[in-house]
Amino acid sequence: MPDTAASKRFTVPIGPQHPALKEPGHFEFTVDGEIVTNAYVRLGYAHRGIEKAAESRNWVQNLYLLERVCGICSHIHGFAYSLAVERLANIEAPPRAQAIRVIVAELERIHSHLLWMGVSAHEAGFDTLFMYSWRDRETIMDVLEGLTGNRVNYSANVLGGVKFDVTPTQADIIRKGLTFLEERTKHYLDVIMHDTMFLQRTRGIGVMTRSQAEVMGALGPTARASNVQRDLRVEAPYAAYKDFPVQMVLDTRGDLEARFEVRINELFESYRLINQILDNLPEGELNVRVPRRIPAGEMIVRLEAPRGEVFYFIKSNGTDKLERLKVRTPTICNMTSVVRLSVGHQLADVPMILAGIDPCFSCNDRTVQIRQADGGAQPNGLSSLMSWEELRQYAIRKYEAR
Amino acid sequence: MSTLSALFAISIFPGGLFLLSSGLLYEWGNRKLLALLQNRVGPRWFQPLADTIKLLAKEEVIPTGTNKFLFIGLPMVALAGGLTAALYVPLAGLAPSASFDGDLIMVFYLLSLLTLCMGLAGTNTVSRFSLIGATRTLTQVFSYEAPFLLALLGVAAAAGSWQISNITAYSGQHWLILTQPLGFLVALIGLMGKLEMPPFDAPEAHTEIVAGALTEYSGRGLAFFHLGKAIELVIGLTLIAAFFLGGLSNPLWFLIKTLALLFIMVVLQALLARLRIDQTVGLWWRYGVLLVLVQWLLMVLL
Repeated sequence: MPDTAASKRFTVPIGPQHPALKEPGHFEFTVDGEIVTNAYVRLGYAHRGIEKAAESRNWVQNLYLLERVCGICSHIHGFAYSLAVERLANIEAPPRAQAIRVIVAELERIHSHLLWMGVSAHEAGFDTLFMYSWRDRETIMDVLEGLTGNRVNYSANVLGGVKFDVTPTQADIIRKGLTFLEERTKHYLDVIMHDTMFLQRTRGIGVMTRSQAEVMGALGPTARASNVQRDLRVEAPYAAYKDFPVQMVLDTRGDLEARFEVRINELFESYRLINQILDNLPEGELNVRVPRRIPAGEMIVRLEAPRGEVFYFIKSNGTDKLERLKVRTPTICNMTSVVRLSVGHQLADVPMILAGIDPCFSCNDRTVQIRQADGGAQPNGLSSLMSWEELRQYAIRKYEAR
Repeated sequence: MSTLSALFAISIFPGGLFLLSSGLLYEWGNRKLLALLQNRVGPRWFQPLADTIKLLAKEEVIPTGTNKFLFIGLPMVALAGGLTAALYVPLAGLAPSASFDGDLIMVFYLLSLLTLCMGLAGTNTVSRFSLIGATRTLTQVFSYEAPFLLALLGVAAAAGSWQISNITAYSGQHWLILTQPLGFLVALIGLMGKLEMPPFDAPEAHTEIVAGALTEYSGRGLAFFHLGKAIELVIGLTLIAAFFLGGLSNPLWFLIKTLALLFIMVVLQALLARLRIDQTVGLWWRYGVLLVLVQWLLMVLL
């Protein structure tokens, strides 16, 4: 290798397989000692072709497919899709259904934020907080299981409403779970704000100013920790959020500590909101009939997922299948900030900064790009990029030569 | 010492078999207690032994770009260092099987051998995780070693001897934790740094650098390093208990005192988040050294 500056750089690869990553992604951090001088991200390892798959299924089948876009915020995808389809068909789900959708969405936010808190604490080597927050998260998982029958992929939505009712008994179970969690969350907030050792790892780390957050298009709690007022539940209320307003949680500091505090304070807001909706649950039907064929047209729906704004675009051509679906999840918007903010920090802070945006790789992956590392032919005379036919011929040759 | 008793001392007690088994059991105690504090179930009592046997049975992969001799030799040297050190400490509350004037310093260096070997093993490979891990391991050595040594030497100075058997005879009559509380604190936390336990586990922070210096190790080499660490845990606990907690007059006291120390260490591990390497160095040179120096100053003045 030529003795150039490029070959002397010390690059630490994180991923596609790495203990810090729960899902595949690839980061390259150029370091000078422990200080990161350059960062590079490459995504696309978990691309599943869901958008294309959605085009070959009918409107109802897509609901089950799209719930599986994300394993953690599965409800919000079903929610967004049903809202879009309902708006295209020009019908509205009954108020009770909308309230139940919001209850499940907020329960999902609680479980997602508790999960995130555990993962981030683990990245900081604070495994005790990790274990405890995940233990308490089980409360929410049990509540969701009792409510919907599933711990993840609750499948709460149907086109035109929801599948199940919230009975008074179930409401009491939810209230009990939330009371327990509220106590625990107060304790966690205390730990996050006052544990000296933990503060050393979060205070002043990964500071994103408001203007930076706006320029990089940060979303969700990541942006709100930098005092960017961006919360669709407040800005453009949908479903039951119109009747049950949410208080936006903001912080001005923009560092990791602020991101922790914003998310934990959002938990309190979710507890309050769920209790309020349970107390004032509208009476009525659970769903309305939706025609098998949806009128032709285009529809955009934006919802606030636990990680930020989820964007759905649906194009219908008037048949029982959709013509085009586009999903954009918040991680892709926040990823820029990881690359920008890690420069200048220590390598040890990088997993924390990455975890700080609450990344979810498999839902943001859109395409697979093929990179030719060597830029040319390989020793065996094959080009490193093969067409499908070449690959097939290669496999046949290899099989015959056995 | 006859050949037979020397062989016994090396292979069965206090070195060899006894040390290895107690090391694995103490490691289990550490893991189990930590798990209980973290609301987990934790491993079964034979899990460390099972891990070791599994590792020993596995293929040892030697990566390209390494010096084979060093790659295979370093784990052995590390383990041998720990086993040798055991001959000079009052394990299980019994008198050390070998002793000479100044053996405290030798034990201290034998214990550091493990860390040095790990650092060398890390720099021996071309893996970037290993290199960073090794740099951190060696950086950490330079931060805790001096305060740790000064804390132990405080006891030696009080006893007026650098021979472990003489020191333990003196500390058997005096509970030095009362007269040298700062030294005790630094020694205990120094041991945690030596063993790379949380919060001093930056050298093997797996969310950053996979397994640090030992990333490329598998099979026998990894098993030896793990065993070395388990042994060092026992020896370190024995030394601190014997020096600061009123000596180890019999096996029962040995068990009680070392387990009490282990419990304190486990609580600290559960309570604290990982320090970055610069924070580790800062902690030791700003507070650790200062505490020991204050301790020495008090000893001189009083």
